[in-house]
This record gives sequence, C-alpha cells and structure tokens, in this order.
Amino acid sequence: MSKENDDRVFEAAKRLTTEISPDRDLWPDISAAIDAPRRSRWAPMFAQAAAVVLLVGASSAVTYVAVKGQQVPGPEISAELLFEQTSFGGRYNLGPGFQDARALLAAELDVELARLSPESRSEIRKNLELVQQAIHDINQALEQEPDNALLQKKLLMAYREELSVLRRVSGLSRNVMMRNDI
Amino acid sequence: MALLTANSSDYSQTMVTTTRDTVVDESTWIRQAQRADQKAFEALYRLHIDKVYGLCLRMTGNVSEAEDCTQEAFVQAWKKMGKFRGDSAFATWLHRIAVNTVLGRMRKSKREQDRIQAVADTSPSPLSTTDTGELRDLSEAIDKLPAGARHVFVLHAVYGYSHNEAGDMLGIAPGTSKAQLHRARRLLTQQLKQQGFEV
Repeated sequence: MSKENDDRVFEAAKRLTTEISPDRDLWPDISAAIDAPRRSRWAPMFAQAAAVVLLVGASSAVTYVAVKGQQVPGPEISAELLFEQTSFGGRYNLGPGFQDARALLAAELDVELARLSPESRSEIRKNLELVQQAIHDINQALEQEPDNALLQKKLLMAYREELSVLRRVSGLSRNVMMRNDI
Repeated sequence: MALLTANSSDYSQTMVTTTRDTVVDESTWIRQAQRADQKAFEALYRLHIDKVYGLCLRMTGNVSEAEDCTQEAFVQAWKKMGKFRGDSAFATWLHRIAVNTVLGRMRKSKREQDRIQAVADTSPSPLSTTDTGELRDLSEAIDKLPAGARHVFVLHAVYGYSHNEAGDMLGIAPGTSKAQLHRARRLLTQQLKQQGFEV
C-alpha cells in the first residue's frame, strides 16, 4: 500500500458528509426521557437496609433468649403469626425441601412456644414478626425490581433466618423439656 | 444564512443569520439549559442534531442504533449540562458524550453487538443515500471495518480529531489509535480495490 493510496483514501474520507439528518425527529423521545420522573432508588435501598437491621436484631435477640433459657409453662397461645407466601423474585421459587421444613416448623410453633415462659414466647414472637416483616418488605421491593440480584439474595437470607429462628425455638423448647424431665 | 427550526418551541421563530449570532445564541441557550430550561435545550438539540446523529451513524453503521445512541447522548447531555464549563466547544463536548454512548452500548451487550454487526452485514449501508459515487463506496467500506478500526478512522480521518483526542474519547492510547488507523487504511484499501475503486 503506497502513501499515495493512503492519501487518496484520506482525501476521500475528508469529503464524507459529517452532518446527517435523522429520518425522523428524535426530540419527542428525548423530551419524554427528560420529563420522566426519576425512579426512586430509595425504596429498595431502604428495604435492603431494613432487612439487614431486622435480621441482625432478630438473630441476636433469639440467641439471647436461647442462652437465657427460662422455662415457665404457659397455657394460652392466642396471637397467630402470619407466614408470608414464599416467593423468590421473578425467576425463582424456594425448593420443596425448604418449604416442607418451614411448613412443619411453623405448624409446630405454637406447641413449641407453649413450653416456654411468657417472656421468651413474647420475645420470639416479636423476632419472628420482624423477620417476616422483612420478608414482606423485600417481596414488595422485588415486585418493582424482580430481577434485582441483591434483593433476591436478601430475601433468601431472610427466609433462612426465619427457618433458623423456627429451628432454634424447636431446639430451645426440647432442651427446656429435657431439663424438666431431669 | 441558516434557518434554525425548532418545532413546537418558543425558538421556532429564531433565525440565525450569521455564525457569530449562532455562537451568541448557543452560549445563551447553554446557560439557560444549565438552569433546566428544556426549551433552550431543545434549541441546542436542533442546532447540533445532525452533527451528533452523523457521528453516531458513522460509528455504528446502523440507522436504528444510531437513533438510539443519539437520543441517549442528548439525554446524557441534559443530565450533565451543569458540568459543561466551556473548556471545549459545545459540539466537541456533545461528540465526546456521543462517542461514550456508542462505546457504552456496545460494551453493554456482546449479543447486541453481534446483532448490530449482523444487520450491518446484511443491509445496504444507511449512508448510501447520503454519499454519492466513490464516497458511497468508501462509506460502505468503512461500515465493514472492525469496530476498533472503524471508530478511530471515523474520528480521525472523517471528523479530524487528533490521535490524542480520538484516543482520549475512545479510552485508548494515542499509539493504539495510530495502529488502528493503519489497520483501517489497509483494510479499506483492500476492500476498495476489490470493488474496483482506484486507490
């Protein structure tokens, strides 16, 4: 390739049109994009932050109750805990094994709670409600952003935390029973 | 004399009579747009649309993609108006945003890149009606260049940016820009010779 050839290509390139009109007016779309209200990023961020705070708080409180280990049998179980429908973002569902374990523990919850002191019962109920509120909030945030991977992760963490609390309640009441037996 | 037509705006009757007037009006519109005056920004859009769309079309080689890039570039420009300090010409600032937009969209999705390439391979050049004769052949040959070589060639050879400026816009070293230009020249010459273009 000679320099002369290069020059001819460059000379031709300089003569190419640099200003070209689009076939249609692009302003209406640009104007609409400029006018569109900015989607708030705060709602999902708040949900995520709230979820983290709630999970840490709930986990700490349940651990405290478990360590404290008081037992006074309480007869009446009146308030009912509502369990959020399990969903996991726009693309995922929780596995059947997880669902079964969760359903079993949830069904046994009242029986297990009846073995604990009113104070412990109240603490555990409060903590479960916090976790379930977090699950509810994250699910709502996921309705707006079903493919948000961080929210999906937080939701999975919340479900695991809920299951963990249920398991700890079950273990706690059994331990109490064992001590009573002795 | 150039007539600036800004449909459905207060600026629709504005007639820009000289280059100096254009500069005066442009700086006024810039200041107003920086204060979130959308009508002033529309006037800037009308003034620069052909330059921005031309660059996007040369860089992408695809009408639909060029329209999307142009729209996105102006939306970005609106959001960044406050950052324009006048260190460079407004047109150059817009060009920089347009180049970033084109590159950003190409990086975003390899699949999209493949689609654009496929369209470019199977469609006649969208520039074939803009350029005539041997220039049309050159336009079509540019469209077929690999992206890296095409971007450098368009910015340097068509739009007259230096290797430093082109490299800065494209996020590559000036030396890489030179190497890509050399590659573009070689490929263009080969293509044009095959088409019977005398080079």
